[in-house]
Amino acid sequence: MNDRLSFYRKKNSLIHRLNPFTKLALIFTLIVIGIFGTGYWTASIVVCLVLIPLTFISKLFWEYLWVVLRLILPTATFMFVMQSIFIPGGITEIFHIGPFSVELETVQRSFLIVSRLFLVISAFAFLLLSTHPSELMSDLTRRGLAPQFAYVIISTLQILPQMQAKAQTIIAAQRSRGLDTQSSFIRRVGSLVPLVGPLVFGSLVEVEERAIAIEARGFTSTHVKTSLHDVPDSNFDKIIRWVLVALVLIALALKIWLS
Amino acid sequence: MAIINLQNVTYKYPLTDSPVLHNINLQVNEGEFVAVIGPNGAGKSTLCYTIAGFVPHFFKGELTGTVEVAGSESSNSSLHEWVLNVGLAFQNPFNQISGAKYTVFEEIAFGLENTGVPREEMKPRVEAAMKLTDISDLADRSPYSLSGGQQQRVALTSILVMQPKVLVLDEPTSQMDPIGTREVFSVIRTMAEQGMTVVLVEHKVEWIAKFADRVIALYEGQILLEGKPQAVLTSDLLMDKGFGISRYTSTAREARNQGLWQNDRPLPVTLDEAVEGFRK
Repeated sequence: MNDRLSFYRKKNSLIHRLNPFTKLALIFTLIVIGIFGTGYWTASIVVCLVLIPLTFISKLFWEYLWVVLRLILPTATFMFVMQSIFIPGGITEIFHIGPFSVELETVQRSFLIVSRLFLVISAFAFLLLSTHPSELMSDLTRRGLAPQFAYVIISTLQILPQMQAKAQTIIAAQRSRGLDTQSSFIRRVGSLVPLVGPLVFGSLVEVEERAIAIEARGFTSTHVKTSLHDVPDSNFDKIIRWVLVALVLIALALKIWLS
Repeated sequence: MAIINLQNVTYKYPLTDSPVLHNINLQVNEGEFVAVIGPNGAGKSTLCYTIAGFVPHFFKGELTGTVEVAGSESSNSSLHEWVLNVGLAFQNPFNQISGAKYTVFEEIAFGLENTGVPREEMKPRVEAAMKLTDISDLADRSPYSLSGGQQQRVALTSILVMQPKVLVLDEPTSQMDPIGTREVFSVIRTMAEQGMTVVLVEHKVEWIAKFADRVIALYEGQILLEGKPQAVLTSDLLMDKGFGISRYTSTAREARNQGLWQNDRPLPVTLDEAVEGFRK
């Protein structure tokens, strides 16, 4: 079974040594600037001139590129094409396919939306690649996030591959009893019923057991929780966070002032 | 001194008509190793949940009588205080993994984090517990990448590290192959030898005969028999009521009917006892 169940890649870099909360603040700032920033190219500039250099600093460029190629680029391309073709309202027609015409204005608008989306997903990918999820959550819990909420996030991340494996087992079991999973689309949709039933009900039973198991380990204890790992939060982190807050304020002020 | 004291305990799950436990009276002394046997539906798991405080705090339902562990009464305590005294591990090791941790070491520390143990104390405690259950070499693995036997040992360690006074184990080896079973039993035996009070529900009677101080046979929510392993496990009553009994016991019983086993010799539970008996 896969030993590595998160995006996180361990590297020795300045970015990796930052406090998780600082990194969260960083990507939040980039997103705010990219989306609220004035100017058509802001989001694209933030990606090219800030985010991509950051992936180099954190020695994660290739991993980031992999995520872009596998996940972000296909989604973004699909959205760009769909929006350009199907959203009406432009004036300057570039060309048309059958009844659908593609106008310059819609293409421009789709690019703007897609570039912002690209920034948001990229920023989160960067966070997940450079930050260990349990460090992120224990730091956020220390800062006041409800531990139950942190638990839900982390366990969901971990449980997805397990659910996938279980679904595979159920499919194999149902196929061995003659369930058709490989013919026409309609029949395959029908085949979902005997798959989803056991998966959902099985998971519900598991939830009860898991609730007992974590309860047995004091999950609802009223003690102030402690953490195995010390997540360092240096003065450098604090300075960076104040700078980021200033940047966000400047971006918002510029937005209000220029509009 | 009795560390576990159940007086006239009767319990009904919510939305059911008949009680699962009827008028149970049970005292377990500090440091004692008690095994509970019984056919399916006898109330073994419910008994475990009762001692561990999950009945009635987690499952709700109707509990009458008193449940006392280490001097405090379950109905007057909250579950999160109760679990500090009573550790519970159960069948499916997979579902006992918290799902919130990425390594075995972190997984075992989970309970300590929740109960606010200081960080300096945490590491030595986790290391000591892992040494005890012989899983130190798994520290950096993902809990999900382990075999069933290893996962069960991790689950046990996660409870042991919290240093409960009483350990309640509900069929911890039911999904295990013989090697996994042996691994888990060696841990349980170590704990018992160190003076921990153990309540173990188990079908593998040969292991019970080897380790337990006392056996309780549960049948339809009541205590049917109670006593030394040898006496309880070879009782004719168990066979009549459909309990799982050792194959050595049933073989020797058949041999006794045929006159091949001395009438005054107690029936065996384990292989060694059987071999010895047939040699005579």
